[in-house]
Amino acid sequence: MKRPEAGAFAAFLITYLFFALATPGTGFVSVNGTAGWLNLAAELGIVAIPVGLLMISGEFDLSIGSTVGAASMILALGTNQYDLPIWPMVFLALAAGGLIGLANGLAVVKTKLPSFIVTLATNFIVIGATMGVSRLIANVTSSSIVASDSAKFVFAARWGQANISILWWLLVAYIGYRVLSRSVFGNWIYATGGNLDAARGAGVPVQRVKISLFIATGLAAALVGILQGVQWNSGNATYGMGFVFQAPIVVVIGGVLLTGGYGSVTGIVLGTALFGVISSGIFYTGWNTDWIQLFLGLLLAAAVLANNYVRRLALSSK
Amino acid sequence: MKLFKSVLAAAAVTIGLGAASPAMSNDEGPILVVSGPLSWPFFAAVKKGFDDAAEIFDVDYQYIAVTDTSNMTSDYPRLLQQAISREPRMLLVGEFFPDGMDPLIKEATAAGIPVLIHNSGQTLWEGNGSIGFVGEDPYQMGYKAGQIQADAGVTTGLCFNQVPGNPTVEERCNGYVAAMKKAGKETIYQTIGTGDATNPQAMTQAIKGSLQANPQIDGIYTLNAVPAMSALRAVDEVGRKGEIMVGTADLSNEALLAIKNGDLAFAMDQQPYLQGFMSIQIAHQYLNYGLHPIGHVKTGPLVIDSSNVDETLQVNKEHAGVRGAS
Repeated sequence: MKRPEAGAFAAFLITYLFFALATPGTGFVSVNGTAGWLNLAAELGIVAIPVGLLMISGEFDLSIGSTVGAASMILALGTNQYDLPIWPMVFLALAAGGLIGLANGLAVVKTKLPSFIVTLATNFIVIGATMGVSRLIANVTSSSIVASDSAKFVFAARWGQANISILWWLLVAYIGYRVLSRSVFGNWIYATGGNLDAARGAGVPVQRVKISLFIATGLAAALVGILQGVQWNSGNATYGMGFVFQAPIVVVIGGVLLTGGYGSVTGIVLGTALFGVISSGIFYTGWNTDWIQLFLGLLLAAAVLANNYVRRLALSSK
Repeated sequence: MKLFKSVLAAAAVTIGLGAASPAMSNDEGPILVVSGPLSWPFFAAVKKGFDDAAEIFDVDYQYIAVTDTSNMTSDYPRLLQQAISREPRMLLVGEFFPDGMDPLIKEATAAGIPVLIHNSGQTLWEGNGSIGFVGEDPYQMGYKAGQIQADAGVTTGLCFNQVPGNPTVEERCNGYVAAMKKAGKETIYQTIGTGDATNPQAMTQAIKGSLQANPQIDGIYTLNAVPAMSALRAVDEVGRKGEIMVGTADLSNEALLAIKNGDLAFAMDQQPYLQGFMSIQIAHQYLNYGLHPIGHVKTGPLVIDSSNVDETLQVNKEHAGVRGAS
C-alpha cells in the first residue's frame, strides 16, 4: 500500500465502476468500448510518462502540444508536398521533437528560469513556426499524409478497434518504469526533484538529468504526432494542443507531486487510464453534453481527493 | 484604455462636425483586415483570397488575427480596437463576436472609416453602418444540411459541435435543428470539452459514446472536416456503416476523398477564398470609384457531394489552399 499509485488505483476503480453502472447496455464495458477509451488514453499516455518523469525531477514541459502538431506537419509536408518517402520524415519528425526538448532543457538549466514559462514560450514559438513554415511551403496549415504500408502498420495498425498506439503506450511505460525504478538514473531523477542542492552535493549530474528528460518528452510528443498523423492521414498544426494541460493533470492524478521528488510510472499510467475512462465514458451516459466539462471537473476533483486520501492513509500505515 | 478613449474622442469630434469631414478616414492609411486564425485551413484559404486579390489590384493590406484561439471572444474586440486606432483607410472585418465587436464597428463607421464585413456578421452589417457583407449565412448552411438529411429519410440527427461557445458555429447547429424539426424529425445536440477540439481521437470516442447511448441516431452533421472524419470512424466502430448518414460543414482533402468513396454524404463549402478575394476587390473599387455591390454577397453554401467531388479534388491538387482544404 505504501506506494504513489495506491490512490490512483483506488480512484480508477471507483470511476470505472461508476461508468460501468451508469451506462447499462451501451457497450462501455464491452471489448469495443474498452478499446475506445484505451485508444484515447494511449495517445495522452505516451506523452504523459516522460512529462511525469520530468515533473518528478522538478520541471514542467508545456511545449508538448505544439510539438505534436509540428511532427504531424513534418510528415504531411514531406510526404505530400515534396513526395518524399515517409520513413525519413518519421526520423526527421522525431529529431525535431528531440531538438525542441534539447532547446527547452538547455534554456531551463542555463537561464534557471521556471520551466513553466520557458516551455510555454516554446509552445507558442513552435506552433507559430509550424504554421509560418507550412504557409510558406504549401499555403496550408493542415495537409494530407501519404504513408507507406509499413508505416501504416507500425503507427496505425488496428486489431478489432484497438489501435497499435496502446502497444506504444505500454512500451513507453515499460521503458519509463525501467528507468525510474530499476536504474541509477531513476534515483538521480528522484534526487533532482526532491532536493536539488543535496543532489548536486551528492554528485548527481542534475543538468544532464533534466536535459535528458526534456529530450525524452520532445521525442514522445513527436511520436504522438506521428501516430495521430498516420492514423488520420493528415497533419495539422493544432493537433495535441489539448495535451498541454491534460498531461500534467493525469500525472498529478497518478500521484506525482507537483513539487517533484515523488511519483511512479504505474501511477501515471493509472491516472491516464482514469482520464480516458472519464472523457470517453461520459458520452456513453447520454447526458446533455453542455454539462460535460462540469462533470469532468467534478470527477477529476473527486479523483484527486480520493487519491490524496488513500495516499495519506498508505503513508501513515506502517 | 487610452486608445479606446482616443477613439471615442475622435468619434465624438467627427459626429460633432457632421459627416462631411471623415476625420479618421486617411487616404494614406493602411487597409486593415481583422479576420480568423490562420491555424484553421479555412482562414488560410480566406487569406489566400486576400493575397491574390491584393496582388491583382495592387493593394497593400495587413492581416490581423489571433494566434491563440482560447480567448477569442475577448481577443477579437481588442484586435479590432487596435486596428481602428491606427486610422485605416478601410477596415475589412470578420464580425465573429458581435457583442464585443459591433459597438466598435459602429464607432469606426461613425468616425468615417469605411467598413466591409466578411464571413460572420450577416445580420448586423446594415445596422452598424458597414457598406456590405461577403460570406455565408451559417444558419442557412446548417438549415440546408438539415433539409438534405431530412429528405434522405434521417429520423434522428446528431449535430456535433466541437467548439461550443462560438456563436457563428452554433448557428449552424441551430439551422440544422430547425430544418430537421420542421420536417418532423428528432435532433440531439452534442458538444465536447474545449481542450479536445483538435484531438480527432477524443472526438471519435465522444461520438461513439453518443451513438451507443442513443442507438436511434441515423444522421450526423459535423461543423468542420476534422470531426467529420472522427464521425465516420465512430460510425464504423459501432458497426453501423451505411446506416448513418454523415454530412459536414467545410472541407478537407480527406473529407472529399470520403465523399468520393461514398462514406461521407456531403460537405458544405462556403467558398472562403471568395470571401477574401471579393473583400479586397470591393475595397479597391469602393476606395477608387465609390462603387460597391448593394446588399449581401453570398458565397455559400455550395453543396459538394458525389456529383461534383471529382472536380473539387482536382482543383485542390492543382491549387493548394484555395478550397480551404488540404
